[in-house]
Amino acid sequence: MGDIRPEDLEKRQDGRNIDSRLGDLSGEGAQQRVKDTDEANPSRALLRTRPSVSGVNAEEPSYYGQPALKEPVWIWSIPLYFYVGGVAGAASVLGVAAEAVGGEGLRKLGYRCRWVGAVGDIVSSGLLIHDLGRPERLLNMLRVFRPTSPMSVGSWVMVGSGAMNSAAVLFASRRGWLGRVGDGAAVAAGLLGLPLAGYTAVLLANTAVPVWQATRKSLPLLFMSSAVASAGSLLELLPHSSHEAKVLHLFSTMGKVGELMTGVAVRHEASGLEVLERPLKQGVSGTLWKAARVCAAASLALGLWPRRTRWMKVAGALLGTAGAIATRFAMFHAGKASARDPQATFQPQREAMGAAEVTGHTHASDGKPFKFPLPVLRETPRRPERPEAASGAWEPEIPVP
Amino acid sequence: MGQKGFFTDTTLCIGCKACEVACKQWNQLPDDGFQLTGMSYDNTGHLGSSTWRHVAFVERPVPLPTQTVGLLDFSWLMASDVCKHCQRAGCLEACPTGAIIRTEFDTVYVQPDVCNGCGYCVAACPFGVVDRREDDGRAWKCTLCYDRLGEDMTPACAKACPTASIQFGDVDELRERAQRRVEQLHEKGLEQAYLYGADAENQPGTGGLNAFFLLVDKPEVYNLPPDPVVPTMKGREAWVSAGWGALGMAVVALGAVLLGREVVRG
Repeated sequence: MGDIRPEDLEKRQDGRNIDSRLGDLSGEGAQQRVKDTDEANPSRALLRTRPSVSGVNAEEPSYYGQPALKEPVWIWSIPLYFYVGGVAGAASVLGVAAEAVGGEGLRKLGYRCRWVGAVGDIVSSGLLIHDLGRPERLLNMLRVFRPTSPMSVGSWVMVGSGAMNSAAVLFASRRGWLGRVGDGAAVAAGLLGLPLAGYTAVLLANTAVPVWQATRKSLPLLFMSSAVASAGSLLELLPHSSHEAKVLHLFSTMGKVGELMTGVAVRHEASGLEVLERPLKQGVSGTLWKAARVCAAASLALGLWPRRTRWMKVAGALLGTAGAIATRFAMFHAGKASARDPQATFQPQREAMGAAEVTGHTHASDGKPFKFPLPVLRETPRRPERPEAASGAWEPEIPVP
Repeated sequence: MGQKGFFTDTTLCIGCKACEVACKQWNQLPDDGFQLTGMSYDNTGHLGSSTWRHVAFVERPVPLPTQTVGLLDFSWLMASDVCKHCQRAGCLEACPTGAIIRTEFDTVYVQPDVCNGCGYCVAACPFGVVDRREDDGRAWKCTLCYDRLGEDMTPACAKACPTASIQFGDVDELRERAQRRVEQLHEKGLEQAYLYGADAENQPGTGGLNAFFLLVDKPEVYNLPPDPVVPTMKGREAWVSAGWGALGMAVVALGAVLLGREVVRG
């Protein structure tokens, strides 16, 4: 063999070992950009610590306890977007309501809501673009409209909402037809604000991640009521007049009540199986979930206190905001933990909570019937009786004092 | 054209990993580093953005009728896992950019020049196949050798498989062949043998897999879900719920304004 040239060594470091004199990169995966081959597979860190136990014989078998799903790759900016997008959506809705039925007295609140909506939409798109693997291709989101993809629907809703809120801000308090265009845009933004606040939960529910999929009926309600609570809290923190305070207080209180109630519903919907509920009880996500509940409850209590001082109002709004943010992060991390746990994928499917919930078939893909939770099986199984002498022999004698 | 796919007969797999190597070589995929996992001979882990075939190794303390070992109750399970190219593909239905398409061969293909790395397909795949390569920023998975199919060639893994454990062809024909193989194995006394995901009847949640498997133990043992479902099937309920939520939000907003306003007047 000839001498190894430095550029060949460089080629080798991309993990492909292709000698540029002999071959060129033109395969399907040749464009894959490589910085560190050792970290190509994100679960490597997990693999290194696993003992060699396959779990084939366990009652709930798995493949060496390896995750059956890929953990969602999203970063912190996604749950933060869930919060910001929710604020923008709910604020737009309140703005339209204030302008439509609030009369001249609430006109300014309506305009402020337009601003919150527009700024929220812009910040939201920034957060979403930040998470993209190829941020320069952000406009590809608008390449197609795909009703089966909540993310596609959501992208269009967000672009629409951003455009409408921006127009509403630009033409606010203009006279004549420009003003009417602004009002029309505000109405459109309000209508788009409804799906904007809720589609994010549908997006999570529409995944293979067990805890998100299992809570699909209550999660949209939680996110939407939390959006109301967080928009109300934010608007309470912004300067506002005394006659607006009553509207904002009512709005955020109803949101917080809804948030607390739907939180219970989410927890209940996940409680079908212990493995599904686990991420909401344990670990980072469990702690965040508890923190979110405490913040929301404290915020509600401060809001309902008979004689509220100024600091109580501010503290209540801050706690409401913290609770809403913590709720999103808790659900986000719960999903990550749920995807990492193979039993969270397998066990619900064995309990006929997989495809069978929709299609109603009775057999798993291995041709065997599901373990249906028949009433008979719910009884505690009777343990086989052991001979007294055999078990007694192993019991240590307890010294009598 | 027709429906193309794989039939992976795991009873024939000898764990040589020729499929893994052929896939890496043909597609010019980078390696995943060279670490030991401690999981039998499986040092690949699982499918990923740069790993489109993965051979699973299971050491079972259970005898298997067609495997003869010395004294111990022992049997090997080896299975070459791959993207299933589902009839109802979660990744495809989730992709917001249209980067994931169904090809003329009825396979599911990610267009690297369109994918913007949103990561939604990663969470939507019920098999945990597709993955985003962090330093590349895009989602990648098995293409069922789209470039080779266009030239009327067999995919690299099936071509390299020395025992015909991986068989490539028209899905209809593969299904018949697989059915015959199951019957043959049953006659030999391997009554555990069954087809995983061969058609919509067997796996309604995915509408059947274009790359299906012959297995001899529970799917979980091979890290396959027992009753996978394309998330979209359940997503409808979430949309309905969001609809009620929207109604609730509108009522709350109007209610807050109306009640708050009346107090101002009073």
